[in-house]
Amino acid sequence: MKKLLLTTAALAMLALLPQGAFAGDIMPGKDVKMVLLPKFLGILPFDQAHQGALEAEKELKNGSALQFLGPTPENSVAGQIEIVTNAATQGVGAIMISNNSGDQIVPSAKTAHDKGIKVVTWDSPIPSGEAEDLFVAQVDFAETGKVMADMALKILGDNGGKFAILSASPDAANQNSWIKAFHDVLKSDPKYAKLQEVDLVYGNDQSEASYNQAVALVDKHPDMQLIMAPTSVGIVAAAKAMQDEKLCDKVKVSGLGVPSEMVAYTMNGCAPDFALWSFVDLGYLAYYTAYGLATGAFEAKEGVSFKAGRLGDYKIAKDPTRSKGLRIVMGPFSIYDKSNVQAAAK
Amino acid sequence: MTAALARLRSWEGLLLAILIVTVALNLANSPYYLGVENIVNLFQLEIEKIIVALTMTLIIINGEIDLSVASVMGLSACVMAWLFKMGVALPLALLAALGSGVLAGLFNGFWTAYVGLPSLAVTLAGLIGFRGVARILVEDRAIGNYPAWFNELGQQAFLGPLTLSIMIFLALFAVVAVVLHGSALGRLVYVMGNSLEAARYSGVRTKRVKMILFVASGVVAALAGLLYAARLGSVRGDMAQGFELDIITIVLLGGVSIFGGSGNLVGVGLSIFVILNLRNGMGLANITGNTQTSVVGALLILSVLVPNMAQLIHNRWRGRET
Repeated sequence: MKKLLLTTAALAMLALLPQGAFAGDIMPGKDVKMVLLPKFLGILPFDQAHQGALEAEKELKNGSALQFLGPTPENSVAGQIEIVTNAATQGVGAIMISNNSGDQIVPSAKTAHDKGIKVVTWDSPIPSGEAEDLFVAQVDFAETGKVMADMALKILGDNGGKFAILSASPDAANQNSWIKAFHDVLKSDPKYAKLQEVDLVYGNDQSEASYNQAVALVDKHPDMQLIMAPTSVGIVAAAKAMQDEKLCDKVKVSGLGVPSEMVAYTMNGCAPDFALWSFVDLGYLAYYTAYGLATGAFEAKEGVSFKAGRLGDYKIAKDPTRSKGLRIVMGPFSIYDKSNVQAAAK
Repeated sequence: MTAALARLRSWEGLLLAILIVTVALNLANSPYYLGVENIVNLFQLEIEKIIVALTMTLIIINGEIDLSVASVMGLSACVMAWLFKMGVALPLALLAALGSGVLAGLFNGFWTAYVGLPSLAVTLAGLIGFRGVARILVEDRAIGNYPAWFNELGQQAFLGPLTLSIMIFLALFAVVAVVLHGSALGRLVYVMGNSLEAARYSGVRTKRVKMILFVASGVVAALAGLLYAARLGSVRGDMAQGFELDIITIVLLGGVSIFGGSGNLVGVGLSIFVILNLRNGMGLANITGNTQTSVVGALLILSVLVPNMAQLIHNRWRGRET
C-alpha cells in the first residue's frame, strides 16, 4: 500500500515537471572523467576532433579535464587496448573511441563497459557492436558511397574510365563500409556503368605506405585515371605521389580529405574534388553524447532523442551498417573544389 | 673476471634502482597502481612479449638472434584462425599452430646451425617470410567468433587472480632459469656464446644446441601468438607486428650482451619488471603515444651504451697503464 502511494506520488511529481526535461536534456556542471581516444596521435582530423571535444567540455562545464590519449601509428592496436584497459582500471565515466582495432578492442572495452563506463565510439565503430553503448557516425554510410560515386563520375566524365581505391587498414570498419556503399551505388545506376574499378589497396593510414601504394598503382595500371582514397591520410599521400611523379594530368585523386591539407592539390588540379564532414563537430558531438550518457541524461536505446548543444537534436537508431549496434548520424557532407577549398582551409 | 662480475652485479643494481624509483613514482602518482586488477593488467598487457623474451634470452646469450619471433606469433595465430575458419576443430587448429612454430624454428635452426648462415640474416628472412604467409592465410579480414572457452582462457583469471598466460610465464621462467643456470645445456649456451670455435674444438655438439634453441624459440613464440589471439578474441594478419623490437629491448636491458656469452635471468627478470612498471605507470599517468615510446627507447640506448662504454673506458685505462 505504501509502495503504491509512493509510486502514485512519484508519477504525480513527474507529471508536474515541464516536458522538456524528459527529452534527454543534458545538464552542465557535472564532474565526469572522460577519455578521448583517437586511432592514433599526430594527424590533423583527430586534433580537430579534440578541439571540438574541448569546446563541448567548456560549454558543459565538466569539472574533470578531458584526457586526449592515443597510441602511435605503429602501435595502434596494442596501444588502444592498453589505453582502454587503463581507463577501466581508473574507473573513468566515459571513453570515446575511434576504433582502429576491429573486434580486437572488444575484450578491453567489455571490461570497461562491465564496470559501468560508457563506451561511445566515433569516426569508426566496433564492428560487432559488442561492449559499445553508441556509435556517433559522421555521415550516413550510404551517402558516403553516393558522394564518392558522384565525384568519380564528375572527374572521369560520362565516358567513364578506370579507377583504383586506396584505403586505410583492411580492418578499418568505417572505410570498409564506405567502400561497400560506394560499390552498391556504382551498381545501382547505369550512369555509373562505365566507371571501372581495377584495384583496392591499403596504405594503413601511414603516409609513406600510402604514397608507395599510390605509386605502385600507377605502375600496375598504366591506364588508370583516378585514385579514390576514402581516408584523409591516403588522399594526401596519393595526391603528393601524383604531383611528385608529374602525373596529375593523367591520374586524378579524390576521396575524403581535410581542406587545409588538400588545398594545394585542389588548386593545382591533382585532386579537383574531395569531400569531408567537420571533425571539429564530430568531436563536439561525441563529447556531448558521452557526457549525456555518463550523467544519465538519456539512455542508449533505440528511439531516444537528445539535444547536443549547437548541433541540435539527435535520435538514436539501429545502425543499418552493422548486425548489432546503435548510432546517431551527424551529417552532412561538404564537397570541396577550387571554388570553396581555400576558404575552408583557413 | 672479478671486474666483469662486479660490472654485472652493478648492472643489476642499477636495474633494481630504476625499478624502485619507477615503483615509488607509480605509487605516488596513482591510487590504482597497487590494485590487484592493475597488477594483473600490468602483466597481461605485455604478457606475450615477456614470455618470448625468456627464450630470446637463451638465444642471445648463445650469441645468436631471432628476429622472426613476432612474425612467428602472427603466423601461429593466423594458422589457427585460418584452420578454424575452414571448419577444423579448434584444439586441432591450436596444435597445428604450435606445429607451425616448430617448423619456423627448424627453418631458422637449419640455416643458422647446419648451413652456417648468420642468424641475423636468416631470421630477418623469417621475419618477412612468416609474416607473408600469415597475411596470405588471413588476407584482409579479421577472424573471430571462437568458442567461449578459448576467449575465456585468454581473458579471464585461471587460478586466483592469475590468468593462464601469467601462469605460463611463471612456469617458463622457472624452466629457463633451471636450464640456463643449472643444466649442462645452459653451460653450453654460455660457452658457445663466448667462443663458438672453442666450444666446437672441445667437442660440443654446437649444431644440436643451436637447433634446440631455435625450435624452442619458435614453439614459445607460436604459443605466445595463440595466447595473444585468445586475449584479443580476434585475429588479423598484422598481429604482433613489430613486437620483436620490444622483446629484444627487454633482453638487452636485462644486461644480456648482444655479442653473446654473458647475462643472466635475474637481470632479464628485473628488466621485465622495469619495463612493465614503467609502461603501466605512464599509462596510468595518461602518458601515451610517442612519449612512451621515447622513454623505452632511451632505456634501450642506455642498456647498450653503458656497458660498452664502461668496457671501452676500462680498456683505454688498461692500455695507458701498460
